[in-house]
Amino acid sequence: MSTIEATAGKEAAVGKTAEPDQGRSSASRSYLLIAPSVIWMALFLVVPLAMIVYVSFWTQSTFKIEPKLTLDSWQTFFGSDTYLNSLWTTLRIWLIVLVSTFVLGYPTALFVGLFVRNKTLQTALLVLCVIPFWTSFLIRVIAWRPMLGKEGAINILLMKFGIIHQPIEALLFTELSVVIGMTQIYVVFMVGPIAFMLGRIDPNVIEAARDLGASFWRILRKIIFPLSLPGVVVGAMFVSVMVLGEFATSAALSGRKVNLLGNIIVTQVGSLKWALASVVGVILTVIMGFVIAGLLRVVDLKKEL
Amino acid sequence: MSEEPILRLEGLTKRFGSQVALSDVTFAVGRGEYVALLGPSGSGKTTLLRSIAGFEIPDAGKIILSGREITRANVYERGIGFVFQNFALFPHLSVKDNIAFGLRNGARRLSEDEVLSRVLQAIAMVGLTGLEERGVAQISGGQKQRVALARTLVMQPKLVLLDEPLGALDANLRLRMRAELRQIREQLGIPFLHVTGSETEALAMGDRVIVLDQGRIGQFGRPDEVYNRPATPNVARFLNRYNVFDGALDGEVFASAYGRFAFGIRMASTESAYAVRYDRLVARQAGSVSPAIRVSYIASEYLGAAIMHFFETNDGKVVEVEHHLSNGPPSTFSEGEAYDLTWTAEDGIVFG
Repeated sequence: MSTIEATAGKEAAVGKTAEPDQGRSSASRSYLLIAPSVIWMALFLVVPLAMIVYVSFWTQSTFKIEPKLTLDSWQTFFGSDTYLNSLWTTLRIWLIVLVSTFVLGYPTALFVGLFVRNKTLQTALLVLCVIPFWTSFLIRVIAWRPMLGKEGAINILLMKFGIIHQPIEALLFTELSVVIGMTQIYVVFMVGPIAFMLGRIDPNVIEAARDLGASFWRILRKIIFPLSLPGVVVGAMFVSVMVLGEFATSAALSGRKVNLLGNIIVTQVGSLKWALASVVGVILTVIMGFVIAGLLRVVDLKKEL
Repeated sequence: MSEEPILRLEGLTKRFGSQVALSDVTFAVGRGEYVALLGPSGSGKTTLLRSIAGFEIPDAGKIILSGREITRANVYERGIGFVFQNFALFPHLSVKDNIAFGLRNGARRLSEDEVLSRVLQAIAMVGLTGLEERGVAQISGGQKQRVALARTLVMQPKLVLLDEPLGALDANLRLRMRAELRQIREQLGIPFLHVTGSETEALAMGDRVIVLDQGRIGQFGRPDEVYNRPATPNVARFLNRYNVFDGALDGEVFASAYGRFAFGIRMASTESAYAVRYDRLVARQAGSVSPAIRVSYIASEYLGAAIMHFFETNDGKVVEVEHHLSNGPPSTFSEGEAYDLTWTAEDGIVFG
């Protein structure tokens, strides 16, 4: 109590003598507001990131790692087909999931954000999209096994209705099952931001376009899509960052056939190969940096938000 | 006016649930006419406009445009321009691209050269030259209004509907845009149907004025007709220029709670009332004149060229008196004091 009063007294005195000083002190007080998050980010993001880059150049022997700088781990990564393949697989799966979440998510968002004009119903539908998140991530992933398996729900149903006579084995423990699993998990991150942007479109703007003679598809292409683009970009950022760092879905649904960079990190850390794990970590971070930078070039988010 | 009307409505009716928005609306708009549609909020004027544009489908009745029935036609097939109150510009497009939108994306595709020449012509007409490449977020309200207008006019519509087009502008600009709107319409020679909640705007803009009252047409006539001979008590009320008293017609006089008044004009109406214009009333010392309404003085408001005096009858009804300063200096009244309001019988309008 007494310190607060003392400070207040001092400020009042400063205020009386010199006004510019007060301006400066209020500015420095507003910097105080972001101090906790700056300290947090520095300790738990910047420092670890720098550490990972540093460790990726350390010398790794079978059982120990020492801070002697070397390019060994980098050469191991770029000299191995296994690792390079997993880099391409990661990029491929990322692109496929990005496209599939968009293809699935955009019409859904269009329905929720634009065609449902009742705000209560709109919120209810968005909550519905989030319900799967009430179960844990791993359960959601593993739940796909009894769905997709050789004797899983989908195969049983298709055979019951006589659409197929042999179970489709390609459904589970393939790249397809990984894509299906990831799409289901991440599509909601695409739907949310797009529905938000679509909900902000003034209905009169769409009516004006109709009045000027534009058909539904024209309006969708020329008005609705461009106006929802910031939502698409934000959604794509969410999905990209999460898919690029994925390892659990591919581990659970591919039967270890699909190895993403994330899976390699897990394996390397598991066998205490910190240097190589750091190399993969740096590569992933750089890729994400490029993806985010690329997406930000598509649309000026500063202007939109 | 003797020729075929551009727009004809026959018995247009629209309900929202149990609420009747439009009830048996019938009227015709002639070639090159500027029609102002006046009504208080909730009178159905926006619903009427949206039905003509095709954003709402009426429950009953017909809309006929240039001899073709369009009651249920698609919005984009109608060839009707619509100017929204909030302008509804495409926020991601420049001024030029906003205006070109209909030409580029409409049913009839034009060559890009043709599009540009028509767009530039429209931009010049509404006085936006030099702002072609601006984003629509970077222009003023009045300029947005012009873009909205140009975007509609460039399509060469058969009819232009304006939904409170001046409502979002400040008073100064509103007056300027009034003159400009009329001028543009005269240049183009196509009919404008202009919805407004402002009686002065309706009277100033319209070649004819439609007064909507709870989804029905209260009156459709020239501004001076509507102003001097309102067809119903409600029309008189919407004009904001009449004191309207309840009562009943009794032979050659009107019997109201404030006395029996002679009248000059009788309008046949289902509702009975007595109306006298604000500027036709004169306040005198209590007991000095008859017939008169006994009132007490509340307050005055200075309007520049006139002064509005507010009085109150003994049962709490506010009566307004307008004194034009060209008729001499205003009298001074003291608050709470009793006065008599009088007028010549010829200025009294009776409904019933």
